[in-house]
Order: sequence, then structure tokens, then C-alpha cells
Amino acid sequence: MADILNTPSLWVLGALVAYGIAYFVYSKWVDEKIWEVSPDRPTPAHMYMDGVEFFPVSRSVLYGFQFKSVAALGPILGPFVAISYGWLPALLWIIFGNMFIGWVQDYSTIMITVRNEGRSMGPLVYQYVGEKPRSILLGYLLFYLLIISAVFIYLISLFWAVFPGTFLATLTIIVFSVIIGHLLYRLQANIYAVTLLAILAVILAVVIGVKVQGPEKAINERLGDNAQAFWMVVLAVILFIASIAPMPTFITPMNFVSTFPALAGVAILIIGALVSPAVGVTLKQPTYTEFWPKIGPLFPVLFVSIACGAISGWHSLVSTSTTGKQLDVETDARPVGAGAMLTEGMLALSALAAYMVLSPEEVGAKISSFVLGATRLSSSYLGGTAAMWKAFFALFLVIYAITVQTLVTRYWRVFSGEIFTGGLSFLGDKYVATFTGLVIPVLFALSGSWWNLWIYFGGSNQLLAGLALMLVAIIIVRMKKPPTYALAPAVFMTIVTISALIWETYVYAHGVWVYLTTGDASVLQAKPPLSEHPTAAFAMNVVFVIVGIALVVLGLMMTYYLVTALSKARQESG
Amino acid sequence: MPLFRRKEEKEEKKGEGGLKGILYGMAVHGSVTAFLRTRMYMEHLFMLMTLGDMLGFPIIPPYYSLKLLPYVVPNIKSWKMRMFRERDFTDLISG
Repeated sequence: MADILNTPSLWVLGALVAYGIAYFVYSKWVDEKIWEVSPDRPTPAHMYMDGVEFFPVSRSVLYGFQFKSVAALGPILGPFVAISYGWLPALLWIIFGNMFIGWVQDYSTIMITVRNEGRSMGPLVYQYVGEKPRSILLGYLLFYLLIISAVFIYLISLFWAVFPGTFLATLTIIVFSVIIGHLLYRLQANIYAVTLLAILAVILAVVIGVKVQGPEKAINERLGDNAQAFWMVVLAVILFIASIAPMPTFITPMNFVSTFPALAGVAILIIGALVSPAVGVTLKQPTYTEFWPKIGPLFPVLFVSIACGAISGWHSLVSTSTTGKQLDVETDARPVGAGAMLTEGMLALSALAAYMVLSPEEVGAKISSFVLGATRLSSSYLGGTAAMWKAFFALFLVIYAITVQTLVTRYWRVFSGEIFTGGLSFLGDKYVATFTGLVIPVLFALSGSWWNLWIYFGGSNQLLAGLALMLVAIIIVRMKKPPTYALAPAVFMTIVTISALIWETYVYAHGVWVYLTTGDASVLQAKPPLSEHPTAAFAMNVVFVIVGIALVVLGLMMTYYLVTALSKARQESG
Repeated sequence: MPLFRRKEEKEEKKGEGGLKGILYGMAVHGSVTAFLRTRMYMEHLFMLMTLGDMLGFPIIPPYYSLKLLPYVVPNIKSWKMRMFRERDFTDLISG
């Protein structure tokens, strides 16, 4: 027994059982007692069917769509940050965060859209909270998008710099995606043939990742510390093209191709963790380290480090803008919302398992160590060479990140086109908006302090979740139902995330203050090449202080308006 | 096999969907939604061009508008519904 406990197997199995309880017991209770769903109550998909935004979609299709829309790097790389506290706190947060908060948000935000004529988050905030909070939400989302982009651009370029061959592998996927897009949408080729081609493209990309590493090694060696900056520029060019090209030519076929390695990767890792006792893969991480390691205090940092695997505000945007409008019957909300979120928890579990089997020295400060752990878990029972698995999981990481980042860049562009009007309309221009939506995050990413930016990302992402849950609570109060199941996590998430954002702002502000008073540039949050230029590093840290303050202030303002609306709803509902 | 179907049809075809539906949802549904939106914006433009003179925008001569009218009439209801629906920045996330 002790041997089994020293492998990821039982822990992962225990988490799966907990998710089962969350789905079959807790979510069912909320579904039946709070929302009182009925298959006979017409949904907006039927009431307002226009064949474009509103149309009923079968639950399995919506489940797949919801899962793919919400799964990104958050659950894969979050555990890397969280494992600084040991694997047990990370595991507990993935289990209980998802069990009591994660699925609650995803499911409930689908339901508020379904019960409110298919309205998205913005109109719902306008209806239940007011005009001003909707504008604040807009400002908040602008900062949020910049932070997501900065983190993802940093990480993709890092993976290209750390794993030679991965860029060419990614390029192979991109080229095949463009061809597949053409085959699917122009020539209307057979879907099975195209799927086979997509799978072959992934295999070819892995082979290229293993065999053709020379050119990238040469570039990385020649550029040294500047290699990652070079890859950032290359990535920005790709993202620029993806953002301005029509969706069917680039983004959507890439999403199609990326589905296969993404699915395969998760399945391989979960099975690897479950069979670990049989193949001798053991836990090498400490169960618990300390409350206050270098990254910051366990409270609140742990709770924002693992974003999407436990709870994520991004999901509320997906649930309200698309899924809620296409729900066939109300009883589908649970398998789609709760089901997809709990599945994403499995993605986080699989990533955590990959870190659990590495020693602290192997993990070190290397975010890329996920690939090493994933390789160990997979090769132990599937065989194959380490080089092959390394190439596969490096590609797996990049593909997850780049498919989301292309969408985020495009979102920023379309967003800018909508909000910049009048004298500022030039900022909404297709090319200008894409350019600004890439230059600002690249500048942020160049600072190299991704660790700190990750906390900003997690903090703002989870604060959005807290705000969405608060909105859910307001609507439930208006329905004259008990709101505790949504209100308690809303309060917890709001306190935790605002504390985390204040903490991270303090980290930057402290560096700025020490630099100003002592001239010691080593306290600034920056890495080479930026850290070699103290003035530039100082300027970036000042910018990050401003970003942190903006996020905190906007978050506090939203909280104030939501709490006021909640109290008003309580009074009016008696 | 149609992947989108009304509730009544769904009851008749119980057991469909499953893994194929999930894979379809993961790989293609987002794209389908995006294409439908692209087509929607094109159709808005087309409707504005064909019905423009009736709305005060004389884009093409009424003679041609009248010739196209029978093809446009069936779409007027859903066009109105889409045009009048409230949209904001949080809707943009879906394409």
C-alpha cells in the first residue's frame, strides 16, 4: 500500500472519485433544487432560433466544444507554479477548487444565459448591476487580454528556445492546417480523409521535431540570451497573420488539427499516472514544502497559480457568449457545463502528475520540466524513445498555447474595432489593432518576469470568475432561491484574487522602490536581456505596478457594484 | 447524420451523438459557428443592398430590388431578429 501511495496512481484515482461525486451528487442537487431545470422549458436556442447564433446543438457536441474552448495552458502550467508548495496543496486545490467552485461557475453561467433570453455577460451585467459596471468590465477585460497575451507569448517563445525542433514541428502543423482548411472549406473534401491527414500531420511534426533540430540549435546558440526575443518576434509575425486572415484559412483549421495531439496527450498522461505503480514510476516531489517559498505566500498565491484546472473566469465568457445560446434543453447544462469543467480538472491532474514524478532539482525553475515529467510517465508504459516523447509533449504545449493565443489576438483586434470610435478610430483599424495587440504583450513578455505575470494572469482570470459567480448569486436571489452555493465561492474567490493582485503589485512596487532608493537593479523583476538594461527594466516594472493597480481598482469597483446590486436584490426579493 | 437537431428529432434518434459528437464539438463546432457568423454579416450586407431603397439607402435601382425581393423575403424575419438583438463586447469572443 505504501508503495502505491508513493506513486501518482491512487491520488489521481481519488481525485477522479471526488469529481464523480461533484458531478453525480452535488451538481445534480444544484441542478434539481436550485435551478429546477426542466426539459420542457424552452431554451433561447429554440425561442430565438436564427440558425446563426441561436440554434439547438446536441449535448455531446456542446460538451466537446465547451471543453476545447476552455482548455488551454492554465491547467498544464499552473501546477508548475503551485508545486513550489509541494504536490499536496496543488492536488487539494485542483480537487476542491473544481468540486466547489469550478464547475459551479461554468454550469451556472450557462444557466443565467438560458434563463435570461440568451444574454451574454455584458448585457447581463448591464441588466442586473448597471451601465457603469459594464464599462468597468470592458476596461478590466482589456487589461486581462494583454496579460494573457504576454504570458502566452513568453511561454511559446520559451518552448521554441528550449526545445530545438519544436518551431519546425509547429510550422509543420501550421502549414498542414492551412492545407486542411483549404481542403475542408474550399474543396469540401471527405472529413474522414482530412482527419487522417491531420493525424499524419501531427506524426510528421513529431518526426521533424526529433530529426530536424540542427537549424534551431544553431539559431539558439548564435543568439544566446536573445534567442527567446527572436522567437517572440517570429511568433508575433505568425499571430499577426493569423489575426488578420479569414478564420477558415488559419485559426479554425489549426484548432481542428490541434484537437488530436491535445486529446491524445491528456489520455496518455492520465493512464500513465494510473498505471504508475505497475511500471515503477514514483513520486519525487515533496508532499509539502513551506508556507512562504520564493514565489510568495501559499495564501493567496496557490489559489491563483492553478487557473483553469480549478476555476477560470474565461469560461464564464464562453458559457454566456456561445454555449448558453445553443443549449438544446435545460437538462443539458449539467453534462455540458459541469462535465466539461470537471474534464478540464483531469487535464490539470494529468499535468500535476507529470510534475509529481520529477525531483525538485529536475523541476528547478524550469517551466519546461513538464515535458520531462510527461515523457517519464508516458515512456514508462508505452515505450518509445525519450526524444520522441519530448518532441511530442513540447509540441503538445506549444499547440495548446498557440491555438488559444491566435484567438486572443484576434479577439483583441475585433474588440478594438468595436470600442475605438471617433477620434481614436485609427486604433480600431484591422492592422493597427493587431499590431498594438501584439507589441504591448511582447514588451511585457520581454521583461522575462513571467512568473509574476502568471500571478497577474491567474489573479485577473479568477477575479473575473468571482465576479461572474457574484452575478449568478444576484440572479438566484432574484429567483427567490438560496444563493449560498454560488455566493460562498464568489466571496472566497474575490478575497483571494484581490489579495493576490495586491501581493503581486507590492512585489513590483517593492522592486521599484528599492531601485529608486538604493540603485540596486537586482531587485527588479526582469531577466536577460532586459535585466542588462536597468533603466528599461525599471520602466517595465513601473508599468507592471500601474497594471496591477488598475486590475485591483477595477476589480474592487466591480465588487462594490455587485455587492450593492446583491443587497438591493435581497431587499427587493424580501 | 445531422449534428444539429430539434428536441423532438433528438428523442427519436436517442443514442446518437456520443463520441462522434464530442469529437465534432471539439474539432469543428467552433469553426461552424464562426462561419455562420461570417455568413450572417455577409447576408446583412446583401439584405441592406437589396432592401436598401426601402430603408432609405438607394444602393441598387429599385427594378433589381424588386426582382430579388422573392428571394429575400423568407430571410426578413431572421434578419430583423439578428439586427435588433443586443450585442456587446462579450459577444465577440465567439468570433
